Amino acid sequence: MGILSTGCKKILDETPRSTFTPEYFKTTQGVNGGLTAMYYHLRNIYGQAYYYNSGITGTDEATWGQSADGNFKDMDCSGVGSILSTSYPSSILWGEAFPNINTASGVIENASAAGVSSALIAEARFFRAFDYFLLVQTFGGVPLDLGAGELKFNTSPSRTSKRNTVPEVYTKAVFPDLLQAVNDLPATGRVTGGLTKTAARLILSKAYLTYAWWLENPNGIPTYPASNRTDPGGHDAAWYFQQAYDVAAAAIDDHGNFGLQPTFYDVNAGQNDRNNEMVLYADHTQTSEKYNGSSLTYGSGGAPDNFAGWMMTWNYTMLKSSGVNSVLREADQHLGRPWVRMAPTIEVLKNTFADKTNDSRYDGTFTSVYRGNWQKGGNAAATLINANGMAIAPGDAVLTFLNEDNPNVVYASGNAGINAGMLPGRSDFVISPGVINRIVYPGLWKLGVYRTDNGTGLGQPNAGSTRPFPIAKFSELYFIAAEAAVKGAAIKAGKSARELINVIRARAGKWRFDNNGNKAKVEDDSPAMIAATPATIDINYVLAERSREFYAEGGRWFDLVRTQKWAELAGTYTIGGINYTDHTPVTVTRTIDKHLYLRPIPQGQIDGLEMTTAEKTAYQNPGY
Amino acid sequence: MRKLKLINFTWWKISCSIILLSIFSVTAYAQSIALHGRIVDENGGPLPGATVRITGTTTATVTTANGDFTLNVPSNTKSITISFLGYVDQTKNITTGTGNLGTLTMVKTSRDISEVVVVGYGTQRREAVTGSVASISGDRMRDVPAPNISQAIQGRLPGVDISQTSTKPGATTQILIRGQRSLTASNDPLIVLDGIPFVGSIGDINPNDIKSIDILKDASATAIYGSRGANGVIILTTNRGQTGANAKISYNGYYGTQTLFSRYPMMNGPEFVALRKAAGLYTVNGTDEDNNVNTDWQKLFYRTGMVNSHDVGVSGGSQTGSYNFGGGYYRNQGLIPTQQYTRYAMRGSVDQSVGKYVKIGFTTNNNYTLNEGGQISVGSVLGFTPITNPYNTDGTLKRTVKMPADESFVLTKGVVNNLHDQWLNETRSYATYNSVYGEVKIPWVEGLKYRVNLGLDFIQGNDGNYTGVGVNSTTPTTSSTAGVGNRQTYHWALENLLTYDHTFAQKHNLNVVALYSAEQTKYNSSSMSAKDIPADAFQFYNLGAATGEITIGNGNYSLSGLSSYMGRVMYSYDNRYLLSATVRSDASSRLAPGYKWHTYPAVSVGWNVMNESFMKEITTIDNLKLRVGYGQTSNQAVNAYQTLGTLNSRQYNFGDNTYATGYYVSQLPNPKLGWEYSETWNYGLDFSVLNHRLSGTIEYYDTKTKDLLLSVGLPPTSGVGSYTANVGQTQNRGLEISLNGTIINNVNGWTWDLGVNVYANRNKLVALASGQTRDEGNGWFVGHNINSIFDYQYTGLWQQGDANMNILEPGGNVGMIKVLYTGGYDANGKPTRAIGAADRQIIDTDPKYQGGFNTRVAYKGFDFNVVGAFKSGGILISSLYGSGGYLNRLTGRGNNVNVDYWTPDNTGARYPKPGGIQSGDNPKYGSTLGYFDASYLKIRAMTLGYDLNRVLPKNFVARARLYFTVQNAFVLFSPYHKESGMDPETNSYGNENAAVPLSNAQRRFLTIGTNAPSTRNYLLGINMSF
Repeated sequence: MGILSTGCKKILDETPRSTFTPEYFKTTQGVNGGLTAMYYHLRNIYGQAYYYNSGITGTDEATWGQSADGNFKDMDCSGVGSILSTSYPSSILWGEAFPNINTASGVIENASAAGVSSALIAEARFFRAFDYFLLVQTFGGVPLDLGAGELKFNTSPSRTSKRNTVPEVYTKAVFPDLLQAVNDLPATGRVTGGLTKTAARLILSKAYLTYAWWLENPNGIPTYPASNRTDPGGHDAAWYFQQAYDVAAAAIDDHGNFGLQPTFYDVNAGQNDRNNEMVLYADHTQTSEKYNGSSLTYGSGGAPDNFAGWMMTWNYTMLKSSGVNSVLREADQHLGRPWVRMAPTIEVLKNTFADKTNDSRYDGTFTSVYRGNWQKGGNAAATLINANGMAIAPGDAVLTFLNEDNPNVVYASGNAGINAGMLPGRSDFVISPGVINRIVYPGLWKLGVYRTDNGTGLGQPNAGSTRPFPIAKFSELYFIAAEAAVKGAAIKAGKSARELINVIRARAGKWRFDNNGNKAKVEDDSPAMIAATPATIDINYVLAERSREFYAEGGRWFDLVRTQKWAELAGTYTIGGINYTDHTPVTVTRTIDKHLYLRPIPQGQIDGLEMTTAEKTAYQNPGY
Repeated sequence: MRKLKLINFTWWKISCSIILLSIFSVTAYAQSIALHGRIVDENGGPLPGATVRITGTTTATVTTANGDFTLNVPSNTKSITISFLGYVDQTKNITTGTGNLGTLTMVKTSRDISEVVVVGYGTQRREAVTGSVASISGDRMRDVPAPNISQAIQGRLPGVDISQTSTKPGATTQILIRGQRSLTASNDPLIVLDGIPFVGSIGDINPNDIKSIDILKDASATAIYGSRGANGVIILTTNRGQTGANAKISYNGYYGTQTLFSRYPMMNGPEFVALRKAAGLYTVNGTDEDNNVNTDWQKLFYRTGMVNSHDVGVSGGSQTGSYNFGGGYYRNQGLIPTQQYTRYAMRGSVDQSVGKYVKIGFTTNNNYTLNEGGQISVGSVLGFTPITNPYNTDGTLKRTVKMPADESFVLTKGVVNNLHDQWLNETRSYATYNSVYGEVKIPWVEGLKYRVNLGLDFIQGNDGNYTGVGVNSTTPTTSSTAGVGNRQTYHWALENLLTYDHTFAQKHNLNVVALYSAEQTKYNSSSMSAKDIPADAFQFYNLGAATGEITIGNGNYSLSGLSSYMGRVMYSYDNRYLLSATVRSDASSRLAPGYKWHTYPAVSVGWNVMNESFMKEITTIDNLKLRVGYGQTSNQAVNAYQTLGTLNSRQYNFGDNTYATGYYVSQLPNPKLGWEYSETWNYGLDFSVLNHRLSGTIEYYDTKTKDLLLSVGLPPTSGVGSYTANVGQTQNRGLEISLNGTIINNVNGWTWDLGVNVYANRNKLVALASGQTRDEGNGWFVGHNINSIFDYQYTGLWQQGDANMNILEPGGNVGMIKVLYTGGYDANGKPTRAIGAADRQIIDTDPKYQGGFNTRVAYKGFDFNVVGAFKSGGILISSLYGSGGYLNRLTGRGNNVNVDYWTPDNTGARYPKPGGIQSGDNPKYGSTLGYFDASYLKIRAMTLGYDLNRVLPKNFVARARLYFTVQNAFVLFSPYHKESGMDPETNSYGNENAAVPLSNAQRRFLTIGTNAPSTRNYLLGINMSF
């Protein structure tokens, strides 16, 4: 009977009961939820393999691998594809950043009214500045007005947009927000992985450094929208290099709980995740599928999965011993899910990581030894016959990537099923660094999967990684300060460019574990590392050292663009072809035109605008 | 308003008590003479169920199975009238003293004149209809025994495009009436069950309960449903009892087996070995592979299906009331092990007159369905290489098998059956649809009637699933998972109708209807899942006992209402000039304040040319009617709360033990969201000639849909992804022809009827948001079909020596797919660039025309029915052959569809060189291999029936017909069938049943994927009544 007395007017009213409307941001819980959403948005960028690829493929750190699709080939700039406005990898950041910026503006606008502390507001400021900094590096000037005014929370469907210039983005958005964040953020995060003063200083010093380079513009790389290389505040490049140095040095001195790990291995080992060197990361967990945001058993290959580590993993499951698959797909940091989309170049193995004995970073970056794990897959065989007819037991090496080229290696198609090589007397198959190809190459250990729920089996190798994806490490402060010093910043005592770099190199010389040898190795090669440091540090050396420290973590393209060294350092590379038998290195030339220093504005943005064709054309970066 | 409510309230009370009373009431009356006789058809066969009534009274009876009747009449009775649907009423004068009237032969009427059409809020004689209405009776519909109504009428009505969306047992279909209008809002027609808008699934209705189906196609007909009329209206009328009829019990049942229509066309062992060799990529076999093995995985996987249907009904009536009750059982066991669908249905209807002026009644349709085994898929089975040996040396099955790059959980019929208690997925739903009415004739105004309808529906669904430890996982320790879900829908509708029906001066026929109605639908759902269930026996029944993570899913709630006024006038003058005019105003809660109301006008006129005096001379034409109509209708199929904006939630972890939920703006509010509406012109011609031997209808329509409800992608710089707005236009124009003819009319006992329908719909997108002409992301292009593909165009394969290959396909190889190049050429005739994204083409997918036919040949007691359907042109997307299915990778990694591929010795092949250039895991441009010409002609059902009463004793009480049906008999003229041997009908939405299906936005493309295989069914059935 009740339904019959429902009034006609009432039938037409609406009250949602299972979803929120944007009004919710005006409450304390809404503000807190807005902040959590901002942390979450890091997952959609960091660990997202296609974005990851856009920061590495095409630089001196990697090229496309045998199973690469256009998303990878396009980024290589080597004639197998081109970066277009429709390319997906370069559009990801654009699509993620602006909604997050808007949420941040909403929190900043509503937070005081809701009675939220300035430390929490500072987190929103940090994220807004962080995104604007990523955008301005990637695309040039970007809009500060999303439809409701500059840096205002927009809740109306706005279909027009006007790009600000690079100096406007830095001086109106990036610097003021980060300065406020440095002031208001706590030394220790309010939650695990929460934002800190150190995080704000790191990003601020990097932003100063990047802007200083932009003002200097040593190689005449064009900017867009057109703008004079002058600072609205009247400062010059040198002033900003100095700011960069000072802020980074202050962060090193006033480090709070942050610091350097004792060895490079410790920085990247899965069991040591969220260590005190990690200043900012996109978190994941194996403890809750719901809060991990992606499956703990089978990753779909899209955000928010952390699936970047699959890209540079070759298909090691093809390895055979006695005709049996001896290295099975395992949720282990050395192994994981193979996608074969990206590959290191021969130069990476032979030049970047030339020193593989004193410098622990080659061993702490790559999987160079593949070990038999057949027993975990239920094959009870105690031994299998491997190279030279010799028996190997579980845990023994099936395939080793040699540290140095060895002319005595003989490659044959039957070897391990992948045309591997053999050396007399060795039970493992081997491959020299100079003959890697796009299908077989050392895997990337540092981003490999790490789980504690494998039991005695192979675990869940097909899930996205449940490890946090590193975004900024304390060690980077040393590089930022060193780079600023190289560019002429006045130095503080004990913090010359060489001294800063040597802190990192000394740490790289310290060993406690031989990762690929799978045995303890307590050794201090710091003196040899320091001895090898050149007397004068130049920018190329800083970049090379950066690559050793942060290889394949995703930021290389930004480093090369900032310093305008991309074409110089990544213009050519060598690697073998896409077949197992391709052991002849091929030199590939990249065409890195100056317009590529800015990524194209995504076509989706331009299609979504209601503006004239001329305005739309003017919205796009030149050359696309 | 307030007054109406009071009346409703009282009515409800009165109705309830009267219904209850009437069930037990017994009516007695005086009797004088017992008239008896026998009613037969034109062939002399008995006509059971014919009504014999004292002329001008309600005193009546119904003939028995033998056509016999006995009617007690007062001694002063002058005449009786005999009526039977499809026959001309016959009045027989009674001579005093005569008891036996002998055998009375009835004369068949031509279909088009006698037929009564349900037009919504009333009925109309077919002759007077001015809108576009396609009808089919329940009996004719059941010529094709089918699990649900939509499958039964597939291909049988012009302009009603019914496509299979799944081959799983219990699956329903997509129904498009006169094409697709909406881009993101629903294109589903409104279904009206016994007068009440239906909120359930059409699969909930037992086809055996249907008396008639009337489909309103054009806006002049659907405008009475205003805001929900744009996609057409399907009016379902269920069986009711007949007043004065003796109790009749009927039984309809069939039993049948389902056999494989065709296996998925995968390679066998030797074929696969040759492919792998040609590809040269997997030169070393996987651990469980051997070139001498030839495993037919599909044979190991499928079982023989079964279909089984039983319905029992009883109906009858007193002099003042009637009833009809029935129950049904339907079960379909699919070919995929453990997959099955079961439906129990129960229905009842009662009509009762109270005194001279009041009539009340109710209808209830209830069903319980159980859907099981939906999680089992043939997809992975097809990928197992045929040279993989599933058996250990001791003959036992392996748990997993290893191919060169893949390891798979072994799936066979036995494995799945044995795991039944550890691997299950079921949906149980209960639905009850009820309507009650009360009708009062206003005594002092002849022809004026007030009626109130109240509909009360409740639908509940429960899902449960459980997967034991390691089941279907290569990792034997993978945690067990279980989940439950619950959904409830509550719906009420209240309609107040005033009808005035009167004929003035014998020539002016006027029918006026006024309506006020209100309805509301409430939906809510909840779900939970858990990991690490402590014991297999728990399945999904105690998630609280799980030792692993327990996740509460997001709940869902929506409440939406609709409030309407409607008025309609139907007027005819002398049966020559016909007019129908409607105005309806609707308000929906889903739209923004100030935009909630919209008014829908519609008008249509008709001219019965043959009723003009100047046509009297022409005897070859029996009937000729011209019609034209215009109307506006809408689509409110936008979800509730779209005008308010939405926050989406995101879960995040801070370290391994701190969890938090975040919110961000996912959709902006749109305070201006209003109706999407369609304007339709409809032109029709109805005719019948040669003494009604041939009749038909030709219609042309033009529908423009404006202010499309569309989720508009905003530029990311606005800070929000999208908002729902009224933008864009689409157009559907089409021609529909249906013809019915009697080719042989009872010549030496032979009768042959043939019906054909053909229709063509031209669909195009006229405008998108803000002057955009293309939206590549969503695949929408102005000037093209809503369903158009944006992809490269296959033109063949590159051959040795072809010019410009190095420029157009750098890095390519001979034998790779060649696609259309649209770029320029330089002065030397060389292409100026490589093939790239700019060469993608817009490919329309809609068919040129389609239709169906049915034919019936009868001889003595035998009748043979064939129902077929055809389609010409259009694109069929098969993910098996394209790149989404990962079954045509031509690499030898997993099994491949058996295709004719390029080799140096076989350069004329359609499919590229195995192991050639790839894009991802598939051949470059591999998606182009999945597009086929969608044409086909298909025999959907063939039925041979026999009237058992021919062999039973003359005075046998029952009527019985035995029949044998072959469903999905065979396919002709289908390029896809020719290539694959498969059924060319789609079996999946675009985003289903493929390794890498199309995006969610492309779900609208119906495809052939790795769903349950199509079946050919053999049924033996019987219809009995007594």
